[in-house]
Amino acid sequence: MALNLEKSWQDALEQIKTWARVNSPWLVHFNSGSCNGCDIEILATLTPRYDLERFGVKLQGSPRHADVLICTGPVTRQARDRLLRVYEQMPEPKFVVAVGSCALSGGAFQGCYNIVGGIDEVLPVDAYIPGCPPRPEAIIDGVVKLLQNIQSGKHVRPAPPAPPSNGHRAENTDEEAA
Amino acid sequence: MPTTEPREKFIVPIGPQHPALKEPGHFEFTVDGEIVTGATARLGYVHRGIEKGTEDRSWVQNLYLLERICGICSHSHALAYALGVEKLAGVEAPPRAQAIRVLVAELERIHSHLLWLGVAAHEAGFDTLFMYSWRDRETVMDLLENLTGNRVNYSANVLGGVKFDVSVEQADAIRRGLDFLEERTQHYLTVVTTDSMFLRRTRGIATMSKQQAEALGVIGPTARASDVPRDVRVESPYAAYTTFPVEAVLATAGDLEARFLVRVKELFESYRVIREILDRMPAGDLTARMPRRVKEGETVSRIEAPRGELFYFIKSGGGDRPERVKARTPSMFNFASVLTLAVGHQLADIPMIMAGIDPCFSCNDRLVVVNRIGHEADVWTWEKLRQYGIEYYRR
Amino acid sequence: MSTEPLLQKPELVLALSQLDRCRLCMAETLLEAAKALLQPWAAESTLPEPNRMDVPIPAADLLAAVKALHDARWGYLSAITGLDLGPEAGAMEALYHFCMGAAVVTLRVRLPRDEASVPSVCGLIPSASFFERELSEMFGVTVTDTPDPSRLFLPDDWPDGVYPLRKDFVMSPTGGGNGAQAE
Repeated sequence: MALNLEKSWQDALEQIKTWARVNSPWLVHFNSGSCNGCDIEILATLTPRYDLERFGVKLQGSPRHADVLICTGPVTRQARDRLLRVYEQMPEPKFVVAVGSCALSGGAFQGCYNIVGGIDEVLPVDAYIPGCPPRPEAIIDGVVKLLQNIQSGKHVRPAPPAPPSNGHRAENTDEEAA
Repeated sequence: MPTTEPREKFIVPIGPQHPALKEPGHFEFTVDGEIVTGATARLGYVHRGIEKGTEDRSWVQNLYLLERICGICSHSHALAYALGVEKLAGVEAPPRAQAIRVLVAELERIHSHLLWLGVAAHEAGFDTLFMYSWRDRETVMDLLENLTGNRVNYSANVLGGVKFDVSVEQADAIRRGLDFLEERTQHYLTVVTTDSMFLRRTRGIATMSKQQAEALGVIGPTARASDVPRDVRVESPYAAYTTFPVEAVLATAGDLEARFLVRVKELFESYRVIREILDRMPAGDLTARMPRRVKEGETVSRIEAPRGELFYFIKSGGGDRPERVKARTPSMFNFASVLTLAVGHQLADIPMIMAGIDPCFSCNDRLVVVNRIGHEADVWTWEKLRQYGIEYYRR
Repeated sequence: MSTEPLLQKPELVLALSQLDRCRLCMAETLLEAAKALLQPWAAESTLPEPNRMDVPIPAADLLAAVKALHDARWGYLSAITGLDLGPEAGAMEALYHFCMGAAVVTLRVRLPRDEASVPSVCGLIPSASFFERELSEMFGVTVTDTPDPSRLFLPDDWPDGVYPLRKDFVMSPTGGGNGAQAE
């Protein structure tokens, strides 16, 4: 990737950052209450047949060094706060990928009492990968597409989720009841 | 809430992820030096409220909900549920359907055991074994996808039978896949029984005698590794296991090595019974007609999932949706027992003890609270505990 | 596809049936044994399915009944199911399922909906702790002397007094729960 030296130093720095991040992004994985179907397929991407690492993508454990948060699950009440905290610990710029039907909308569990339903009820989501579960190729495809969009500047940052309204979220109704 | 001794417990944040808050969904180990003196757990991370959800869904819709309780043993859940509902409705699925159900169940057992082999190896620090077993596991995933259309959550069952047939080509593909896996499994058997580093982490560790196993109450491969012959396929055969019986694989040592051994040997038994089903597949229909409303009544449906006995209690009020569905997973059963077992062992053995029961939840998420007597409590990530175990045995 | 009829030889049919009959026989024998152990309560027992026996047990006698099965090493406690019969019935049930081979014996404890209480069986069966915690948090059954009364599955911030598996806990269309309408 050629550095355009006529731009300001700030822009140049941005370009370097984007380049480094896109060419070697670090992913952190978070399960917000999934059945493990998606998690296993994510883990499978590391195994020899799919080998996500050959794209320069590294799946590692610490949010503090991560660029991309890859999430599964319909967000159980217990997982919600942890999910937020993991996100908060990530340095900017950061991106969120929702993997699987549950992460998209709550999936088969829509309407169940202990779930919030969909990662984007809690965090701004940059990419959605549908499936139940999506196969490893689909996961890789989604992640790579996101990275390409970031690199080309086509990626649009999502709006943050709407704050919970009265009667819509479990915590509000239940707190009032007690 | 602290239970027995009044000990001051301060949760101190450790590790990259979590600022100070007592996390629901964690294990708590009280240690005196290196020895665990108390163990308890707080689950709930994956609690979605499914049992309640079943009361709002029709009998058919519940098939799809329940098979997503667990992505690893999804067919087991659907099978237990379908068999139970069929019993209530007085419907018997045709023999060919039952045989195909068992075929998929055994393929699922294979994928689950190979998955576990990799995960358990990873817990012990043997990442090469993890990579190899997961690569080999892809063979089973391919077979499952070829048969059912999906790698996970295969939805093979419909109420009254199965959704698809097995063609000659598919049967041949399965046979070829099994030939490959059988050869690989021989290799794993050798590793598990002769590799000295591996044996150091498994031989003589977390031993449960037969009496202990019976007293504690364990099921599945963990029980069979302690010579307790509990296997629902043998004791209370269901679906086509009456026609295609399996033998329970037992070991006597009752230690971690035995738990590895039992699961690896069970793979051979699965290969054998699948081949037998393919050779003697009954002719006939794939489904029997099911009513929309199911007669009033209660039933118990027990099947042998890869991790042990899966227990379903289903109550119908005579309508088009269940009155109650209770699903007791094998992991829940084994968890309670293994926490009792942990007491008296070294902290460094905990990752392998937990791995030994093949617990059904995502590895990354478990948190561990370690209370050292005389010190403040620490919160560790599972990764930290796992590393602790690996380092300990390197000394 | 090879479609050999499964049952080619009549002798095999007979043999197979005999095996199945043998198993059923074993289950019935096991149930007879359990019935003998559970006197006098077993007088009220029923057989909802050939391999299952239901025995109604008053809460006060639960420990004695469990002890009878446990001491004789009749099977293992496989699960505890809570059943809410609804506000109109004013009753709930706690079902203790014991399994041995193909036989299942269920001790049915009928409880009043208000102030439902059973004694803990953890003194005899330590691993019942998880089952008791679940029964308690989902149905509001008090399990006296249970070693760990804390919640198992429900979050810490779940409101007290709201029991999700009770019939009058209604989920809102968007998920969550009505909490306020429980009781």
